[in-house]
Amino acid sequence: MANVTNSLKRKLIKPMSGQMDMVFFLLTMLLLVIGLVMLFSASYANAYYLLGDSFRYIKNQMIFAVAGVAAMLFISKVIDYHIFHRLVYLMMGISLVLLVVVFFMPALNDAHRWIFIGSGNYSISFQPSEIAKFSLVVLFAHWMSINPKSTRSISGLIPYFAAMGAIMLLLIPEPHLSATVIIAVLAVIMLIIGGMNLKLLVAGAFAGVPSLLLLIFIMGKWDRLMGRVSSWLDPFLDARGDGWQTIQSLYSIGSGGLMGTGFGNSRQKYLFLPEPQNDFIFAIVCEELGFFGATLILMLFALLVWRGFVIGMQAKDRFGSYIAFGLTTQIALQVILNIAVATNTVPNTGIGLPFFSYGGTSLMMLLGQVGVLLNISRQTKPGSE
Amino acid sequence: MWLKGDTLLGKRVRLITGLFGIAFGVLVVRLFFLQVVQADMWKERATSQQLYSTSITAKRGNIYDTNMKTLAKSVTVWTVFISPAEMKAEQRELVASGLSEILDVDYDMVYDKTLKVDRYNETIKRKVDNATADLVNEFILENKIKGIYLSEDVMRYYPYDNLASTVLGFTNYDGQGAYGLEAYYDKTLSGTDGIVASVRNAKGTAMPFSEQQVFDAEDGQSLVLTIDETVQHYLEKHLENAVLEHDVQQRAVGIVMNVKTGEILGMSTKPDFNPNNYSYIYDDKTREQLEQMREEANTDQEKEAYLVALEEAQNTQWRNKAISDPYEPGSVFKLITAAAALETGAVTPNTQFYCAGFYEVAGNRISCWKNGGHGALNFGGAIKGSCNPAFIMTGHALGATRFIDYLDKFGLYGKTGVDLPGEATSIMHDKATMLNENKASLSSASFGQTFKVTALQLMVGVNATVNGGYLMQPYIVRQVLDSEGNVVSNTEPTVIRQVISAETSATVASLAEKVVSETGGSGIRAAVPGYRIGGKTGTSQKLDQEGDDTILSFYGYAPADDPEIAILVMLDEPQKNNQYGSVIAAPVVGNIFADILPYLGYEPSYTEEQLSTADIATPYLINSGLQEAQTTLMQAGLQYRVVGSGTQVVNQTPGAAMPIPGGGTVVLYTDSEAEGAQTAVVPYVIGRSGNETNKLILNAGFNIRMEGESIQHEGCVAISQSVEAGTTAEIGTVITVTFGVQGMALPE
Repeated sequence: MANVTNSLKRKLIKPMSGQMDMVFFLLTMLLLVIGLVMLFSASYANAYYLLGDSFRYIKNQMIFAVAGVAAMLFISKVIDYHIFHRLVYLMMGISLVLLVVVFFMPALNDAHRWIFIGSGNYSISFQPSEIAKFSLVVLFAHWMSINPKSTRSISGLIPYFAAMGAIMLLLIPEPHLSATVIIAVLAVIMLIIGGMNLKLLVAGAFAGVPSLLLLIFIMGKWDRLMGRVSSWLDPFLDARGDGWQTIQSLYSIGSGGLMGTGFGNSRQKYLFLPEPQNDFIFAIVCEELGFFGATLILMLFALLVWRGFVIGMQAKDRFGSYIAFGLTTQIALQVILNIAVATNTVPNTGIGLPFFSYGGTSLMMLLGQVGVLLNISRQTKPGSE
Repeated sequence: MWLKGDTLLGKRVRLITGLFGIAFGVLVVRLFFLQVVQADMWKERATSQQLYSTSITAKRGNIYDTNMKTLAKSVTVWTVFISPAEMKAEQRELVASGLSEILDVDYDMVYDKTLKVDRYNETIKRKVDNATADLVNEFILENKIKGIYLSEDVMRYYPYDNLASTVLGFTNYDGQGAYGLEAYYDKTLSGTDGIVASVRNAKGTAMPFSEQQVFDAEDGQSLVLTIDETVQHYLEKHLENAVLEHDVQQRAVGIVMNVKTGEILGMSTKPDFNPNNYSYIYDDKTREQLEQMREEANTDQEKEAYLVALEEAQNTQWRNKAISDPYEPGSVFKLITAAAALETGAVTPNTQFYCAGFYEVAGNRISCWKNGGHGALNFGGAIKGSCNPAFIMTGHALGATRFIDYLDKFGLYGKTGVDLPGEATSIMHDKATMLNENKASLSSASFGQTFKVTALQLMVGVNATVNGGYLMQPYIVRQVLDSEGNVVSNTEPTVIRQVISAETSATVASLAEKVVSETGGSGIRAAVPGYRIGGKTGTSQKLDQEGDDTILSFYGYAPADDPEIAILVMLDEPQKNNQYGSVIAAPVVGNIFADILPYLGYEPSYTEEQLSTADIATPYLINSGLQEAQTTLMQAGLQYRVVGSGTQVVNQTPGAAMPIPGGGTVVLYTDSEAEGAQTAVVPYVIGRSGNETNKLILNAGFNIRMEGESIQHEGCVAISQSVEAGTTAEIGTVITVTFGVQGMALPE
């Protein structure tokens, strides 16, 4: 293990000559542009009524998008992903510390998910869970690449589940159901790709799911979970309360019809659908662009995932492959979960749509991760290191 | 590419790719379900929360008489209300004094309302007109008052008050047609309210970039009636007089129709009500009784009883008796029996009858109204004298089968289908029973007893006996106009069927003319000089109730040689002078004819006989009771006009023993204050036609005596008058006008 890191020591920060995957890059840029345009459309009513400035959200997001794209290109060109072999424990440590710090931060909607730095116009906020997801991917990729056999035995799996469990243990009491679920699924998928025995997985699921529920119960978040489930099964049970957001989302999606009401013409964004710029932005997309537009965007995401996997398949080593699979899986999971929530296919959990939802730091994180993926793609050709 | 050696990883990646593929597939299917399959449902629900609509009230259409005089219209009014919560304490007294003065309301009532500081809407007065509303606005501005508001409202207004009220009906508090034509044509009149639909945000405020859709209100359509305000006016005037004069208990009905078209020119039930204040009870006696009931009501039961009685009284005064209350038509119906019998040949005008004063049917004695009987008479005489036994025999000659057949053909089963609400169905003998039994019901039915039809129904049927034989569909709305006055639809006269031949009809008309025109005719009191009028009296016993209450009626038509206008007057339970129809119902019809025929453009043509009408010496009436004086005058063939409200005659014009032309009017003064008071300016009539002169002199309140040989000649005009035009004379004074062809020398 030390050999790997030491051997790469001097080459980790320098411009690379390899060609990045243009398909993945262009898909990213396309989704980012569409995402920004739709964010503007979805957010301006809320921005107008609640902030008095129709352009507030889009201006903020643009700044982060530009900075994010710059960071993405910089990372893809200069930062060799092998650097994470060295940073992996630091990152994991920072993640865990921040996940503890978050409990000392003010609650937003009864949940401690955000860390706030600074104040007023110069404040910045982010979710440590985003960093934790990335850290987990890197950590698993690191372990799986230096010891491929570790996923094949129960004893070998213990560190993986320990790391995953530690993060989840901190996420549940926040509470942050969506991040908890994503961490769990993300970890399991990485282990499946890493060669974990599927019988073991089934056994693990039998043990894991009940213990997860038990954990949620012990931590006093059971009612919250059940509330989500019941308003998922019948949102009209409490149409003015818990079911409101889901109902409004369904109204938006349904009234889009086949062709949509046209760009900018959503009515639901006028204070009916709460926070249309955030987790439920896809509902506004559906309303304005219709079934065709929504399906087209879904296909772009599917292509992006497919291309991410292609990068993973072509990576020059296991570490690159696992990071690529992990990061792509993370994006895929967020897209699927977000849209499943918007369409009330699964219970409501707060999760943003990559490239679309408002949130500067999370967009930068995402673009940074895309930068890592692109860096991996630069190193696929033999001789390009 | 390290991966080539790891087949397990390739498999696992394909597995995960497959799972993601399924997940994306599920989402697409879900979207398809929501956006395509269920789209309409979601769209509808979303729209219902996004659209905010306010309605624009459609303007209700007007109701016009046949000459476009407005009988009902909607006007803007204002409700004045205050918001005590917003009012400054130091302005309360000012508000109370200002509003009580402008709106003519109680100061304390307003002041008390200003003290309700937690209220935002305390009504001070409703239905305030524009001018008053302006004064209120001025008052608000001048004194800078906060908390007085006016809200716009629409009120239905009936410019002619009581006129045709039982026909027009009224609109309720919400502006919906509740009674009469207003109810029957409510949909036509009310139009369709418009909607302003705008997209709103969840807070209900308009969106900054939103569109607004306006669906204009479609204003109601207007009705043009066949009713003629002038005809209606005269009808009501004479009907009202009859009700007062004869103390009619169960209201009186009058209908004026065009017999050739079925148009209803006038229709009234008296007493009626003022639709501008329809809840008020207009019958003094009933109202006083109700007041007393209300005051004395202590228990809930009594209060309930009061409310029931109030409702009943209101319904009674609103009820259009002409179409809603079937009654036994009595002898007026004999014209239908006559028409059927003549048409079928069961009788001829010369068929001989003998009236012994009664007729026995199946052991029952049915009396003739004339004690001792009419003796020997022919069928024409039976009509003229309204002989019951002769008509029973006629009914028998006709037979039950044909009798029923003609009842049917004359439209007496069922309803007329007139365009008015609340029409009652006639109450007739069962056909099978009448066919099978031994002539009992046929006998009584043949002179109009033991069955009931509505006044309108009877009239439509009788019209067919004199108008050439056509049963005409009666109607009251002749035209519907849209809000801009364009014609939407016209009602054309509709012949339901020809019931009898034109010849038979002409025979009936000429026989019935003798009822009015010949000495001994039962309807002679309906005669109007200068016009040929026919008709038939009617007296019906109310057989289905205790006592000897009667319904007196008269049906008249003019001109008798080619009938066009018919009048039916029916007085239900007159208490004074309630002898026979001829005495009190016929003159009502005569008076109406005298007023409306000239108005409708029928020129009078006086016969030589009429011109030389022997003057009558006016009887001495001073100090006699009013009722007695009236009876005396009626028996003498004179009209009368009462000035004052006393019961004793204190003066008269013309004075006793002064000559007055037959049919002239004697003015009776009953109050000593009014003694010698009533005077009028004598009109200038030289150069006028006979008709115009007659109208001018009579309208001014004088009596006229026409002289001159050539009055029948064309171009004959008044050439001199006995009292000089422009001078003042007591009303009732007889003015002699001499007629001649213009330019002809005055007879020496």
